[in-house]
Amino acid sequence: MEIISDMLAVILQKGGSIKPTHLMYKANLSHKQMKGYLDELEKKELISKNDDKKDFKEKISIKITNNGRTFLYKYSEMKQFEKTFGL
Amino acid sequence: MKIVLTPDWFLGFDVFIELFSFIVLAIFSVLSLRNYKLNKSKKNFLYIGIGFGLIALAQLATILTKAVLYYDIGITQQIGQAIITSNFVNSVDIFYHIGFFFYRFLTLAGFYMIYRLHNKRTYLGESLLFGYFILISALLSTEIYYFFYLTCLGILMLIIRNYYVIYRENHFLNTKLLLIAFGILSLSQLLFIFPDGTLQVTANIVELISYTLLLFLAIRIRKDGKKKKSDGDNIRHVGSNSAKRRKH
Repeated sequence: MEIISDMLAVILQKGGSIKPTHLMYKANLSHKQMKGYLDELEKKELISKNDDKKDFKEKISIKITNNGRTFLYKYSEMKQFEKTFGL
Repeated sequence: MKIVLTPDWFLGFDVFIELFSFIVLAIFSVLSLRNYKLNKSKKNFLYIGIGFGLIALAQLATILTKAVLYYDIGITQQIGQAIITSNFVNSVDIFYHIGFFFYRFLTLAGFYMIYRLHNKRTYLGESLLFGYFILISALLSTEIYYFFYLTCLGILMLIIRNYYVIYRENHFLNTKLLLIAFGILSLSQLLFIFPDGTLQVTANIVELISYTLLLFLAIRIRKDGKKKKSDGDNIRHVGSNSAKRRKH
């Protein structure tokens, strides 16, 4: 869950859209790990891939969805609650 | 025998304070259960949600009982008729005692749940024994009213000790506010012990202050969760783990 929220936070940091290689570096994940997480995030509609197949691989960008933003707010609130109560 | 120690002029205000307390406790219960829904591996969210939920239900029990007692609505009229027909004089007393029993039992159970969260090495036997004492305390308080407030005070002291240890570790303002709120709530329980009318009113007001502080804390938790950085991002608590992973 922390990795997922980290990935979403990194995308937000970059203005809501990021290239896969940048995300891989920022989230400190291997290519295989990141692919797995991205598939999961896309399945849960937390991100969307802006995949223009005419261009090179590097042109693919990952965007955070409204669901992704809501998830991040809820996660942040959960962390606040957790820290307050020392859970 | 006097069922409620609150002075006559304050009757009604105490119900308002209990209604306010119920709302605040319900907010904490919902917040916690929502967090549990988000992360089901953290059972503590569930337990704290149940704890606050039980105290909220306790407040609801006392609100309903007092509403009948003060405003003589519905149920009293029915009970009144029952008294006439069956000539059973103590029925009304029994109704109130059951209502207040639920208030006491649920309050103590809720506080115990919150206390138990931070004591992971509690054995089943120990919990059962505590449950037994809570039940005895709730039952005995029908005759010896201050027994309930003494038990509440005892459990609240244990809760305060737990949060003091947590605050010493995290130095987090929200934990400090929680600690102060529970401290003020303890003071109100101490004041409730004395059968003096003025002290009962003071205790109610002190209780209101503690729940107001808890409401402020709930708002802070919600607000901080939504706090945005100047660029519109929300990375107050997230985003730091990847940096940690890089360091390792």
